[in-house]
Amino acid sequence: MYTLGIDIGSTTSKCVLLEDGNKIAATSLMVAGIGTNGGIKAMDEALEAGKVKREEVAYIIATGYGRKNFSEADGELSELSCHAKGVHFDDPRVRTIIDIGGQDAKVIRLNGKGILESFLMNDKCAAGTGRFLDVMATILQVPIAEFEDQARSAKEPAKISSTCTVFAESEVISQLANGSKVECVIAGICNSVASRVAALAKRVGIKEEVFMSGGVARNGGVRDALERELQVSIKYSEHSQLMGALGAALYAYEKAVAAEQA
Amino acid sequence: MAALQDILQEFHRIAASPQELLKSYLGQGKKVVVCSPVYSPEEIIHSMGLLPFGTWGADMEIREAKAYFPAFICSIMQSILELGIKGAFQGVSAIVVPSLCDSLKCLGQNWKYAVPGIEFIPMTYPQNRNTDYGKEFTKAGYQRVIKDLERITGETFEDGKLHKSIEIYNAHNQAMREFSEYAGNYGAITAADRNAVFKSAYFMEKSEHTALVNQLVDALKATEPGKTKKLRVVTSGILADAKELLAILEDNSIQIVADDMAQESRQYRVDCPPAGTALDSLAGKFAAMGNCSVLYDVNKGRASYITELVQEKRAEGVIYVLTKFCDPEEFDYVIVKKACEEKNIPLLQIEVDRQMVNYEQVRTAVQTFSEMLG
Repeated sequence: MYTLGIDIGSTTSKCVLLEDGNKIAATSLMVAGIGTNGGIKAMDEALEAGKVKREEVAYIIATGYGRKNFSEADGELSELSCHAKGVHFDDPRVRTIIDIGGQDAKVIRLNGKGILESFLMNDKCAAGTGRFLDVMATILQVPIAEFEDQARSAKEPAKISSTCTVFAESEVISQLANGSKVECVIAGICNSVASRVAALAKRVGIKEEVFMSGGVARNGGVRDALERELQVSIKYSEHSQLMGALGAALYAYEKAVAAEQA
Repeated sequence: MAALQDILQEFHRIAASPQELLKSYLGQGKKVVVCSPVYSPEEIIHSMGLLPFGTWGADMEIREAKAYFPAFICSIMQSILELGIKGAFQGVSAIVVPSLCDSLKCLGQNWKYAVPGIEFIPMTYPQNRNTDYGKEFTKAGYQRVIKDLERITGETFEDGKLHKSIEIYNAHNQAMREFSEYAGNYGAITAADRNAVFKSAYFMEKSEHTALVNQLVDALKATEPGKTKKLRVVTSGILADAKELLAILEDNSIQIVADDMAQESRQYRVDCPPAGTALDSLAGKFAAMGNCSVLYDVNKGRASYITELVQEKRAEGVIYVLTKFCDPEEFDYVIVKKACEEKNIPLLQIEVDRQMVNYEQVRTAVQTFSEMLG
């Protein structure tokens, strides 16, 4: 039985095609989020990669900010529930998930059975999110993919305010004007995101193991800074960005099985 | 007996049209006094033959009031001033603004300059209210309100008339408590229905509202509550009035079984007790009030009040509706969170604002809370 999970976020659409609730048959990721046809494209690409026809998919669950508007879905669930499900499937030892996406940050705590125990979302503010990093990458004219290496090569991170993207932008410009090296400014930017998200994580309460999901998980500069802030080791997977879609596909499998048994 | 849905529709109609009602009252020659949050002494106004007309502002874009307030201040206060500047209260005799939080003090002071056509009457309450000197202080505040009302409206105050108004308000308190008790057990009563019943109370003469609420309670008593799979939740905070928020609660099958909201049940918990004079009785009521972020309480009994309410109503969680930039509620949240954690009561905090246009983050948080407990 095939089920499909689709996570339509603010900047990307991710899809996981699951076989029999335990094998990932195909995945896809489109840099096109809510308000675009990224969801449909991501689904089509995953189906094509898995050589599976749409009618062979027993159940589809949508998640992410675009979950309400994906007409192909049979159901929808919040991205926090789906990230919890996906990460627990990937690594049952995880108790805390830090999910930094394009426009928000979330901290999720799980119990030993992978059930969501508590969670917190960030304020309506770009600080501590992927959007913050995008704005800074544009100012510095450094591709976001290079942030990790640049941050790791910095000898002394610059001090960047952790409170506001707009103010941080002028701080970055001031730092550059005062002769700070680009890699030091980038390290400061990563620290700034980490400090903001660490405050959120401490409010929920950190329980190890800690896993980082969402698009910003790919950024080693932020991961390193978060480890220093929280004084814990943070797990990460190449599939971190797909955890929401994976969780949705797992929930879809449960729904499909329940429907068969009904 | 009127049908349940017909009565609910009447509450929705009244709650949605305060401007029309105000015009109608003024057209009938009634003298209207606007009552700002929280705990304006409506009984005094009512006893003087004036019509107390409550306001909690409105969900709106705030433009003019920004000239008077800093950006980081409660949007309830900002929207009340905005309504005043834009003429929404034109024709009323005065506005009473209590002094129970710093933002309210700013509202009163700004009102004098921003809305010069409607006189501002301060109601200054004491912090230590449940002592003899505290009650005397409260009475002095009432006397100032009475003096101003007599000067502005030409009406006179009589203690005997206040006694009669207190009876009307005590009966209203009882009706609202009974409604809340019943509404929590009826899955058919949505968060929006509950809001309409509480909100309409601000715009109607209280004996008329009591009669309508009693009709509703009678209709509920005559209806089977029915089994519901909705999630039983206690709400706490200042205000849960936004249409979008109420729809999100319903979309996620959340049933409010009791509330600790300033705009809803907090004001109806305590009746005026018997006393030598009616004014003493009113001061006695304020003295006995508590479990509210703007009423000084060194022991912060509000936290255990909420956890006990959860246990009593068999609620499955608490939704703390935090009004953005409300300092008293932000301070209390920490204490409420700790109390809920000690009792293993799931707690969700959501932040709302009178200027909010996008509720997607609230939707995600409420949906996750519902999925977590479902």
